[in-house]
Amino acid sequence: MPNPRNGPIQFSHPAEAAFARVLDFYEIEWEYEPTTFPLEWDQDGRVMTAFSPDFYLVEEDLYIELTTMQQRLVTRKNRKLRLLRELYPDVKCKLMYRKDVESLAVKYGLFEKGPVPAECLDDNSGEPDRHRREVE
Amino acid sequence: MKDGANVFADQSRGSDRCLDSGCLVEDIEQVLISEGEIQARVNELGAQLSATYAGKDPVLVGVLRGVFVFMADLVRAITIPIDVDFIGITRYGPSTRTQGVVRLTKDLDVCITGRHVLFVEDVIDTGLSLRYILRTLQAREPASLMVCTLFNKPRKRLFDLDVAYTGFVLPDRFVVGYGLDYDERYRNLPFVGVLREEAITRQRLPPGAQT
Repeated sequence: MPNPRNGPIQFSHPAEAAFARVLDFYEIEWEYEPTTFPLEWDQDGRVMTAFSPDFYLVEEDLYIELTTMQQRLVTRKNRKLRLLRELYPDVKCKLMYRKDVESLAVKYGLFEKGPVPAECLDDNSGEPDRHRREVE
Repeated sequence: MKDGANVFADQSRGSDRCLDSGCLVEDIEQVLISEGEIQARVNELGAQLSATYAGKDPVLVGVLRGVFVFMADLVRAITIPIDVDFIGITRYGPSTRTQGVVRLTKDLDVCITGRHVLFVEDVIDTGLSLRYILRTLQAREPASLMVCTLFNKPRKRLFDLDVAYTGFVLPDRFVVGYGLDYDERYRNLPFVGVLREEAITRQRLPPGAQT
């Protein structure tokens, strides 16, 4: 396998685990959430907002963030991506939206239960806890 | 855009294609690219490639299976001597997800070392399989390696890949026909059309579960 690891990775979302299996199949070396990028700081220099893209494709030097939230709910994630591009212009990051994940699911049969099982979709207004990286 | 059923019926009039009720056309919501438009573009690509590869004795390589329709038309639109070969790879899916990594199911019969290779694809979207294939071919040290695809979905691309020749840029919709399949069906449609959502849903259901 291209990604020898010391132990099983605890993915935050079933779609991430499915995507990792596809990357492994095509022998693409990846790392899971290897980097946290500070995006906003308070007056004392403490990090208020940060962003940890889900995957880093090593050879491509590319970060990938998956989201299965409905398009209308990805505003905060889009904002983080915009800040990332402003603050770290040399960092390549691709955001895969719900439609992209669904497309992958159809093409590759990612999930055993069907195209995208209901439990893999985030239809509520809140983002999964792991996305709440802002320092309170 | 044209109505899929009407266009297909018009294009097929006088041919032996099955147009009876229950045939593939009923699953098509809309024709995106007609048979005539495809043939015209394939002829343009053929002329372009004939000029580019004149005197270079190129090898055209396709990956099975979807490319066979495009490859058959493309090679007949090329006017210079060429070799043609195919490779096969396993694709990620329900039947392969437990089999580890991608592997070749059919290797090339032609030696491409030192040859000018044109890799021919039917469609490129994520680029996952193309990346693997290009690395496999590049390892054999061809004189050159270029990519020609009839259909391109650049918005789906996960990473940058150099595509030298593109026939059509497709929108971000699920399309079938002219080699493009859904669950191995619809490759034999002579045009490219949008598959009805009901058709996708129906084919995902197990036999006997259809309503």
